[in-house]
Amino acid sequence: MGANKEEEKLARVRLNFFACYKSDWLLRLIGLHGGAADLLKLSPSEIAAEGGVMPETAQRLAAQTAAADPEKEMLAAEKAGVSVLTALDEGYPELLKNIYDPPLVLYVRGKLAPVPAAAIVGTRKATAYGLRTAARLARELAESGVAVASGLARGIDTAAHKAAVEARGCTWAALGSGLNDIYPGENRKLAERIVETGGALVSEFPMNKGPLPSNFPRRNRIISGLTLATVVVEGGFESGALITARFALDQGREVLAVPGPVDSPVSRGPNYFIKNGAAPVENSGDIVACFPPEYLFGIRTAASEPVKSPSEAALKGVSPDALEAYRVIEASDAGLSADELTAKLAWQVQRAAAALFELETSSLLISRGGRFNAV
Amino acid sequence: MLSKLSTLCLKGIDGRVVSAEVYIASGLPAYSVVGLPDAAVKEAKDRVVAAVRNSGFDFPAKRITVNLAPGEIKKAGTHFDLPIALGVIAASGRLGKKLPALLEDTFFIGELALDGALRPVAGVLPMLLALKGSGRTAVVPAGNSVEAAISGVSCLSASSLKEVAAWLTGDADLKPCSAPGPAQAVPEGGNDFSEVKGQPFAKRALEIAAAGFHNVVLVGPPGAGKSMLARRFGALLPPMTFDESLETTKLYSVSGLVSAGRLVSERPFREPHHTISDAALIGGGSSPRPGEVSLAHNGVLFLDEFPEFSRPAIEALREPLEAWKVTVSRVKESVAYPARFLMVAAMNPCPCGYLGHPTRECACTPLQVHKYRSRISGPILDRIDLQVQLSAVKFSDWEAVPRGESSAVIAGRVLKAIEIQRRRFKGAAKANAFMAGAELRRHCALPEGASAVLETAMNKLGFSARSLDKILKISRTIADLEGAPGIKREHIIEAVQYRMLDKTAAIAPGF
Repeated sequence: MGANKEEEKLARVRLNFFACYKSDWLLRLIGLHGGAADLLKLSPSEIAAEGGVMPETAQRLAAQTAAADPEKEMLAAEKAGVSVLTALDEGYPELLKNIYDPPLVLYVRGKLAPVPAAAIVGTRKATAYGLRTAARLARELAESGVAVASGLARGIDTAAHKAAVEARGCTWAALGSGLNDIYPGENRKLAERIVETGGALVSEFPMNKGPLPSNFPRRNRIISGLTLATVVVEGGFESGALITARFALDQGREVLAVPGPVDSPVSRGPNYFIKNGAAPVENSGDIVACFPPEYLFGIRTAASEPVKSPSEAALKGVSPDALEAYRVIEASDAGLSADELTAKLAWQVQRAAAALFELETSSLLISRGGRFNAV
Repeated sequence: MLSKLSTLCLKGIDGRVVSAEVYIASGLPAYSVVGLPDAAVKEAKDRVVAAVRNSGFDFPAKRITVNLAPGEIKKAGTHFDLPIALGVIAASGRLGKKLPALLEDTFFIGELALDGALRPVAGVLPMLLALKGSGRTAVVPAGNSVEAAISGVSCLSASSLKEVAAWLTGDADLKPCSAPGPAQAVPEGGNDFSEVKGQPFAKRALEIAAAGFHNVVLVGPPGAGKSMLARRFGALLPPMTFDESLETTKLYSVSGLVSAGRLVSERPFREPHHTISDAALIGGGSSPRPGEVSLAHNGVLFLDEFPEFSRPAIEALREPLEAWKVTVSRVKESVAYPARFLMVAAMNPCPCGYLGHPTRECACTPLQVHKYRSRISGPILDRIDLQVQLSAVKFSDWEAVPRGESSAVIAGRVLKAIEIQRRRFKGAAKANAFMAGAELRRHCALPEGASAVLETAMNKLGFSARSLDKILKISRTIADLEGAPGIKREHIIEAVQYRMLDKTAAIAPGF
């Protein structure tokens, strides 16, 4: 290694402008050349000659790394309160270092506490069942001192992050864009709260890079790589959640799945994993149980409550009309619209409206596109 | 030789008196029309030549000047044919000498066919209304006689130029226009509310809309019955008063749409397609014509697929929604058309239409849904008080659902609520939807415990302060429908259900 540590780190940040879109062969190259700083000193033809790399790729590598400005990048990160970690740094997560192609550079906003973590992943088009299960698992994990990792996407991811934040636990979000460009936009507030409550936003992409579609499958390896176990809550066969689970299997981590109705398209993914040997998850105890023993120290085994409908207590306080309406909605497959509820109970609209208002404001129902579902 | 006749023209929807002067001088044969004529009036020249000759008169080969005075008003339309032709005949001395008084006292309107027959023209009613109370007589084409009778002005109808000429020389009589018989009850082609099955919330929202003059947007998947409901909405409104009928008929007359010359006695229902231009929607053209919003005057304007209307068209609705009229300004003139209508807009919940559908999956991303909905700008959405969700009706339900109330029953309640408002606003043609500021605070005092309801709505359902005002107005109308003097807690709770687009969770699936 011809360069000092500081120089090597800057070289890696520079190299990462190219490497964050590529996979493991760069690490192989770095190994071959002793360090990123030494690698960057080579001409493209030398790299191509030694590393088994296509000449065009080597050309692109040279061009893109030359255009990057690592000093400016470090300043931008500092300004945004982001720490820049490479495998040379203390804080770089051990678990992530041990995967097949760890990120060359990890941008971290907030703090990656040295606690065991589990990933909760799932589709953006989740059902009410998926959302409430993700939220419950995240809350239980957070309460027992396990960090909840996910991808800050809509649907399951958001539900998991939110529940963890609300339980004042720590939760990590791995992004598919630079930390200065949080995607999706509506989750910016949530991202702030994640940092405030002792969690972290992490990304391997340079600060100002936008959310390219191709980034997301790649960032999924970080979600699984940071954690001991990945829980698939809901997802169809083409869902990104399944990509995360496959990464977890490749990385030798546990994969668990939340069983779902056999006729629900978004439960196909988890049910498929269960069929193939993944452990089914009912509560956080099932997740913690598959952690390797050395990680169990310090985990508060939350007296896992029996799984029950979350709203029994809240239901005691509502009026008889609201209770009746709730039972009807709960019994329906896909929730009910206000019109359907009115027809089913043969009520006046005023009566149905009052019941719906009461249930919705007591957070017993959520409405999506005019359809009411039990929470 | 000179002759002078009286006729009428339109400015906006009001009639103006015009005098047509014809002067025949010796000299090289020439024929010109002056006095700001538009293309249709200039074309009168050729029709007049043929009609005069084919009615058995000579068309003098001399220097003919036709002047339409006053010269600064733009003259449009084809109804100047008759006065010009009569002027030419009179000026060439074929009608005798005692005529000038009769020619000037009588108003002539009519388009000529080449054989001298008289054709009906547009805008007869508003033109004749300008003569109301003057005690003067007008001669109109036979095809306009029913419309002319509505005006209450004494009118004679003629079917050809020859007949009019014979009347002027005293050789024949013209038939007076008689008032139309009572309008035949058009068999109701199934336009009753009881035929709409299900959709109790939408029906109730339309009842509230009719009672408080609130505009409505119906949000629902394709096939939920949005158009069906909207078409039946007019039946909930109270019957048109004579003045309302007359106003609306004037607008229809100007547009040449008066069917069989009858008074428009049913509230109009206009349903422009979403590809309509902004000019066609609110009125315009180089010689202005009323747009769809004015044709919906005193009735219902139904805008299906509302977000698909062009942005300029949607924005152009601001003025009529606010001021109940449309001012069309052109370089040469500016006219105002009344446009007091209730707007019923309909839209899908998302671009694909299936957001919230019980069995079909919606293929839209939250961003697409957001973009689709934001095509309706804030200021327009602000003028729509009621936002209702419709749901797809399953066939199994369709059979089971009982028929609802008939239009007449609902209209009875609506009428009562309107009377309460008439007393509240001291007879002004005002409705709950137009309350603002101090009025809102005075008439919408909150009962005990109701402010807590509003607070919960804001905190839990994400309503903005702006939507709270709407909720109050709707609550007021609900209370009026019930005949309750003050707003009650349950009225507010019901009103909350009619602001579905305001709920924060309405768009984003999930959280």
